[in-house]
Amino acid sequence: MPVHSAGPRLYASVKFKHLVRGAGSAAGTRPANISLNLTPFVDMMTILVTFLLMVFGSSSLLQAQKGLELPIAMARETLQQAPVIIVTKSEITYQGQLVATVDSVLRDDSPTFKIDALFERLDAAAKKIKEDVALGRQPKDLIKACEDAKSNIRPAPGKICPDGLAILQADESTDARLINKIVNTAKAAGFDNLLFAVKNK
Amino acid sequence: MGATIGTGDKKSVNVELNIVPFIDLMSCLTAFLLVTAVWVNIAQINIQPKGKTRDQAQVQQDDEHVTLSVLVQSDRIWVGLSRVNEFQDIPKKADDQDWDKLETTLKEHKASAFFADRSDLEIAAESTTAAPVKYQDIIHAMDVAVKVGFIDVGLSDPQGLAARPSL
Repeated sequence: MPVHSAGPRLYASVKFKHLVRGAGSAAGTRPANISLNLTPFVDMMTILVTFLLMVFGSSSLLQAQKGLELPIAMARETLQQAPVIIVTKSEITYQGQLVATVDSVLRDDSPTFKIDALFERLDAAAKKIKEDVALGRQPKDLIKACEDAKSNIRPAPGKICPDGLAILQADESTDARLINKIVNTAKAAGFDNLLFAVKNK
Repeated sequence: MGATIGTGDKKSVNVELNIVPFIDLMSCLTAFLLVTAVWVNIAQINIQPKGKTRDQAQVQQDDEHVTLSVLVQSDRIWVGLSRVNEFQDIPKKADDQDWDKLETTLKEHKASAFFADRSDLEIAAESTTAAPVKYQDIIHAMDVAVKVGFIDVGLSDPQGLAARPSL
């Protein structure tokens, strides 16, 4: 094997001549910096970040909960913003605050057939939402949806009047008795329009 | 972000932006978003609580109004018409409810004169400690109803159904 003079090399056998020619030799007369074209990389990163921000933004309506697997359905209607009642395998929470445990509610055979602790919170929330709608503190399209609802006009998807609207995010294995109690409680508190959160097939 | 103007040559007006901090930021943001993003598609089924509850007095039904009721039990599904008092029993098939039969039955009702121009239906689930009904079954029944064309689904208490089979 012939002996080569000292100079830039990539490993042992691949010669670095194509770079040496463009960027200067090791002699130091010309700089050896190689400029990479970063424009496609920056473009890709920008598009990826934009896409991820959009995905992240639309899925933040519901919080992931430990011990909660949503039921599966074919429904494709996008979830709308509303107060969230969460039912996991062990707890019932409203807007992230613990309301009751599943066992205690299933054991309770009171004749009122509703969950008192949940009713108190839902009742207060329903009054506040009603007041906000009356004073026009909601987005214009939702205020219009409320006016349409009075005239029995069907709302557009994702534009349901927030007055009396709540989301139920319950585990798929929840007992139907518990669902009945929560629905009755919500109805008694003025939430007569419930959105059941489901996972798409 | 730094910028270098010129290269020492008086005639050169090229500007070189230092995009390294920008790329650093983008890389961190991409990694963070990929880790935290939720990839599950979440949808909704809209329902209206219907029927009378234990709190309410008996609700007088309009004599002319026929209501389609679906009662989900652990081992079967009943589909009934109020006023007509006609019921169809759909027994459980192996491990799961017979959802195909429910769909066929609801399609037949949707095509009938009573419901051709209507989209309302009420569903109830009768669950006991010995024979529990899961939330997934209620959702499945609602999903079938919406698919058939009964988009105004109401969830009722089992005792509040307009048409309830007498066992």
